[in-house]
Amino acid sequence: MLMPKRVKHRRVHRGKMRGETKGGGTVNFGEYGLQAIEAGWITNRQIESARIAMTRYMKRGGKVWIKIFPHKPYTKKPLEVRMGSGKGAVEGWVAVVKPGRVMFEIAGVSEEVAREALRLASHKLPVKSKFVKREEIGGESNEG
Amino acid sequence: MAMTIKAEKREKSGRSGLTGLRTEGYVPAVVYGYKLESVPVAIREKDLMMTLRDEGRNAVFQLEVDGKKVNAVLHDYQTDVMKGEFKHADFLAIDMNTEMEAEVNVSLIGDDVAPGIKEGGVLSQPFWTVNISAKPSDMPESLEVDVSEMAVGDTLTVGDIKSKWGVDVTDEDDKVLATITAPRVEQAEDDAEEGAADPEAGADAEAGGGADEAPKETE
Repeated sequence: MLMPKRVKHRRVHRGKMRGETKGGGTVNFGEYGLQAIEAGWITNRQIESARIAMTRYMKRGGKVWIKIFPHKPYTKKPLEVRMGSGKGAVEGWVAVVKPGRVMFEIAGVSEEVAREALRLASHKLPVKSKFVKREEIGGESNEG
Repeated sequence: MAMTIKAEKREKSGRSGLTGLRTEGYVPAVVYGYKLESVPVAIREKDLMMTLRDEGRNAVFQLEVDGKKVNAVLHDYQTDVMKGEFKHADFLAIDMNTEMEAEVNVSLIGDDVAPGIKEGGVLSQPFWTVNISAKPSDMPESLEVDVSEMAVGDTLTVGDIKSKWGVDVTDEDDKVLATITAPRVEQAEDDAEEGAADPEAGADAEAGGGADEAPKETE
């Protein structure tokens, strides 16, 4: 599962998820992508689950790019523990996703297969998302 | 002949002014380049979209600024990441007799008859554009790469194909445009991984959450 190899700080603040994505809002590697339309934390397990759903549907064809990485540790206090006495233990890793972020890309399959694979992947994620195509300026709308 | 787009000189600047322009259906833009000082302008988004749709990304069009016609190309642009609408555009005024560099889209053709794909290979396209140098009037809208004779393991580079295009490609010869790779055998691996992952997840839950393999902190 995706996880950083080493970190500068073991625990970090939760932070805010204001505004739209600063980068990674276009389909760059493949032909089709899954774009987040709301902000959220995506855990490494959800990313892995989405990847498996896509590759399983696409069988042997096509290629998948994962464009998000769970850099952020999140912590949790054990059950039935009183508040205080420091921050809890690291529970898992999340990727912070803001609206507009293209999370997954696919190439090498037909549009119908890509749509279905990304639809299956979207059901594994905690954010609303939409299917997008590689941008062609002045061309047809890239939304699906 | 190049299409004409009317550009109005723009007085408004600052966030509120530009947002106002955008809601009225205009795109704030700037024109600069050949024999021209930088001029802030506003053009109708509909006109710009129509022109690009008809003529392509590297089309030369005439911008009418203050009654003066300037040959220009779309040099750079910013779009809204969610809506896909133009937020800002840069137009480069050009001399029609001087060569210019531009990124041109590459499209693959013949992929349905390629023997490599029929055998189950996966066609991938690492680069979707090439940089070419040409006179503005000779700039192609897109370039085609024929992959109909490619087998599994074959790779097509710029060097292999640039003589067929008849344009001056400024990219390195070893830039890969298309490759057919053998099909993945990941299905079995995936299943195995999943099988291994599930008991692990169970163990983590039992242990009260797993940051066991937590990365080292480095200062």
